[in-house]
Amino acid sequence: MSSKDFFVNRYRQLGWKYTSVELNQAIRINSMSTERIDVKRRLESRGIQLEKIPFLEAGFWITKSDFSVGATTEYLLGLYSLQEAAAQIPATLFSELKDKIVLDASAAPGGKTVQLADIMHNTGAIIALDVEKRRLSALSNHLERCHVSNTIAYHLDARQVRRLNLKFDRILLDMPCSGNFATDKEWFNRRTIEDVLNNAKLQREIMIEAKKTLKEDGEIVYATCSLEPEEDELNIDWAIKNLGLQTQNIDCYGEKGLTDVFGKKLDASIQNCRRIWPQETQGFFVCKLKKRTNLR
Amino acid sequence: MRQISNFLSKFNANMSLDENLVVKKDDRYFLLDLNLKSLIRNDFLYAGIYLGRNENDTFLPSFNLLAMMARTEANKITVDEKSEWLFICGRDVFKRGITRLSGPRKRGDYTLILNEQGDCLGFGRITRDLNDRDEGKVAVKNIADIGDFLRRESTQKRHERF
Repeated sequence: MSSKDFFVNRYRQLGWKYTSVELNQAIRINSMSTERIDVKRRLESRGIQLEKIPFLEAGFWITKSDFSVGATTEYLLGLYSLQEAAAQIPATLFSELKDKIVLDASAAPGGKTVQLADIMHNTGAIIALDVEKRRLSALSNHLERCHVSNTIAYHLDARQVRRLNLKFDRILLDMPCSGNFATDKEWFNRRTIEDVLNNAKLQREIMIEAKKTLKEDGEIVYATCSLEPEEDELNIDWAIKNLGLQTQNIDCYGEKGLTDVFGKKLDASIQNCRRIWPQETQGFFVCKLKKRTNLR
Repeated sequence: MRQISNFLSKFNANMSLDENLVVKKDDRYFLLDLNLKSLIRNDFLYAGIYLGRNENDTFLPSFNLLAMMARTEANKITVDEKSEWLFICGRDVFKRGITRLSGPRKRGDYTLILNEQGDCLGFGRITRDLNDRDEGKVAVKNIADIGDFLRRESTQKRHERF
């Protein structure tokens, strides 16, 4: 059985029929620099056609452009970011972010860090970590370009976050993951189930350490761009049973999380998670967690 | 801090930065607020507002600092849409592309370059007397422009390939 057949068969068992997808390019307008409507008008005057993404407040599909939208004056001024539509969801799921201390545990190249800063209106503080120094240059450029002023970035493995001696109100765990075929045409040739299991293990290790730095009434948003349940529902089920975390109801694009994975029954509250099969967006998984009340 | 102050004075930019909130990391300067200052550790990589860096005794400003200067009475030249595009591609500004001037206009003066919307695109140095009527000659030599973000991206990609 080919690698592709193996994974496609798994998706079928999870209730989804594989289809290849062509993704529309998406942007997110940074409202901290300017009015959203003004950026839209400026881009349209350059012949770029935009269509509002119905499930996002600041997201737009690029429906027509004769040149790269990553090379306009407006892009270079930080008025918008290129950010895939599903990837724009996690940062929007936190309740009140203004003036909070926020951890972005795997921050580079910085799309979600900038989005958090935008939602926070540059108040409070974001502590942005990444384990790969090379990717942190991209993060620095992104922060400078988009005029972010509330972030401190460290070259640090998220599993060592306790070294910072900080407690966080909000934690974004945009996990290092196996990715999905919608954004990588060679995905089926590159990935094996062993990669998936290794990533799932790493994600659990990050969750363990992140939870130790979460304030009592804090919130975690967990996200992957993996379709593999080991990195998604099975990890959250494990966190509920082992870390004293509970899922929170979220209102966003996507289907309910799976509570039956290859015959294994999971905690019913996994339904609060959202699984996004590739169609309009790439594949994605997201959920919001808090410490279980009776364990606080 | 002296390098930053000297740089600002070249543009007649009347702005002051709180020295207590400016931190230096290797050759780079960052401006913090009190909250970030209370949280930061010495081993940070980036923090607050990046102001610029020293290279061989020359201060190279960030585009954040230039944007802050553009909100003051600093020397400014506004250019038309065509010159805007050429400027961010690294080209110099011709006299005919200038639509507004603010501040001195003598040869050798430094000036910010703005587009018609008032966004700061970078800075340059005036190469000839701007009262001169010859429209077809270079008026401002490009020193830094926001197209640098793209040039940095390509450099990073090149490094990633090897």
